[in-house]
Order: sequence, then structure tokens, then C-alpha cells
Amino acid sequence: MKKLISIGEAAKRLGVSIDTLRRWDKKGILKSVRASGAGYRYYLEHDLYLFINDLFVRAEEWVEKETGVEPVSFLYCPTRDIFDARWVKMENELAKIPSLPVHFSLITAVIGEIGNNSFDHNLGNWRDIPGIFFGYDIEKKYIVLADRGQGILKTLQHVKPELEKDAEAVKTAFTEVISGRAPEARGNGLKYVKEVVTNYPLTLLFETGDAQLTLAQGDQKLNISEKIPYIAGCLAVLQF
Amino acid sequence: MLIKLKKFGTSLSSRPSGKEAFSAFQPTLKEIGDNENIVIDFEGVLVLGPSWADEFLTPIFTKYEERVSLQNTDNPSVKVTLELLKKIREEGKKI
Repeated sequence: MKKLISIGEAAKRLGVSIDTLRRWDKKGILKSVRASGAGYRYYLEHDLYLFINDLFVRAEEWVEKETGVEPVSFLYCPTRDIFDARWVKMENELAKIPSLPVHFSLITAVIGEIGNNSFDHNLGNWRDIPGIFFGYDIEKKYIVLADRGQGILKTLQHVKPELEKDAEAVKTAFTEVISGRAPEARGNGLKYVKEVVTNYPLTLLFETGDAQLTLAQGDQKLNISEKIPYIAGCLAVLQF
Repeated sequence: MLIKLKKFGTSLSSRPSGKEAFSAFQPTLKEIGDNENIVIDFEGVLVLGPSWADEFLTPIFTKYEERVSLQNTDNPSVKVTLELLKKIREEGKKI
């Protein structure tokens, strides 16, 4: 028998309100089933699984697209204020997980650095869609961030014009204290991310241009390989 | 002077908000006496990222140096942030 989930439980799992789920049902974004004569909405667990599981695929498709379109609103932070509010909401949800292998403050801080980096470096320079894609799946234990900005290489070339390849730019961003907004003193965010991910049970996938970085606990050096297809902005996935 | 960081919020991450906190706090910082010690208290801070900290704490560490002491730094994100900022300050001194 297929497992039915109440609308309240579904809202909790997806991190959205019950009203949002009702709207999605009407629009066909996520359909419910009516299992009782009273007309209460239920969700098939399988449908929820597919919907959540789609998160990474959605982010990757969004960032790889030739022409940008706005992501669905619950995954879209057009401004830093909206990102900040959702980031705190994520923090609260992570804090409630009893068996989290890493203290929630570290995961939250890492995500804050990556998300804010997108705004710091692309404000006024987004290629088409301003802001970031931000979604997380508490059940499957991963968080996705993406932007259709300039990418790390272009940003760092302002201060290090000798950089030619995305892979070199990623290495610089994760290892050197260098700011894409010199002369402002900046450039420690991704070093912090590296510090946390290599010292705690976390894994990070970070893509920009044609470079793909994977990082995990215990890594002594950065694993950077070629990313196909090319993405002009950045995509990050943190698993916990 | 005792600076309670939680008065600026319990989740401190972005550079703009760190910068804003530092600007807003200027009138209070000006009241610090020539030989007065500064205690920065992290009690109640749930998340601290290096970007916020670099905008707010680095200028205080740089200006007041040994006169600054820290308390209640047990939160893991506070610990890693303070260690990273310290490392960066020390590397900066070497250059």
C-alpha cells in the first residue's frame, strides 16, 4: 500500500507552509490526493521523495541554462535579505535535528559564506537573473546553492589578472587570502569553508566555469577536475 | 568595556551586516579610555561567520591588540572563525 502523508507533515518535510502546498496543488506543482470523504489533502510519500530529490537536478539545470529564468519562488532568493531570512530558517531546522553529525552552527556558517559570496561578488553584475538558487533537503541531508553570476575566475581576475583557468581560480579562492573586491580587505570566506569541510564529516561539491572541486573530511589537497558542461556562475552542494 | 555580541544578533554572517554593526557601534567605541581593556562576550551567539567577524572584530583586534580579551567562545562556528582570523592576522604580520 502506498504511504500517505498529511499536508502538515508534507509542509514540515519540505520546509514550506500549508498554504504554499495548497497553492502548489492548485497550480499542479505538487499534486495531492484526497483520501477521505472530508476532502483532506494527503501526499504520496513517493511524490514527496521525487520532489525533494529533484533539488540538485533543478539547481544544475538552472545554472547550466543558456538563458536564465527565475527559479520557483521557494528556491529563489533574489536579494540578500531574502537569503538571510531563509538562511536563519534553515539554521533553526538544522538545530532541531538530534543526530546531526556536525554542529549546526558550522553548517550554517558555511552556507552563509557561500551564499553571501554570491551577492558580494555579483551585485550589479548578474548575467541575467539576480540573486541565488537556495534549497535544502533535511531528510536527504544536503544543501544546494547556485548563482548565474560572473563565476570565480572573472571575479578574481580583477585582482590577479594572471589567472587564466577556472581550476586555478578555484584553487586561489579556496587557499589564498585574496579579495575580488580589493582594496577592500576580504577573501576569507571560502578558506573558512575549506577549514570546516576538511575537519568535519561533510562533503562539498563546488562548480564554476569548467572546474569542479570536491572536498571532504581529511582531504589534504583540493581535488579539482574538469566540469562538463561549462557553467558561467557557481554551484555548490554541501552534504552533511 | 564589555561588548556583548548577541546584541547585534545571534546569527552573524554577511559582510554588509558586520560593517553596519561596526558603524553603528562607533559612538560606543569612542568612549573606550586610553588604557581601558575590552572584553568581547560571545555568549548567546549561535552562528558566527568569518565575513561578519572580519568586518566587526578585525578592526577592534587591530586597533586595541592586547587590550582585547574574549569570553564564552565555545560555539564551534565561533571557534573556527576566531582561529581563521588569527591565522590571517599572523600571516599578514609576516608579509
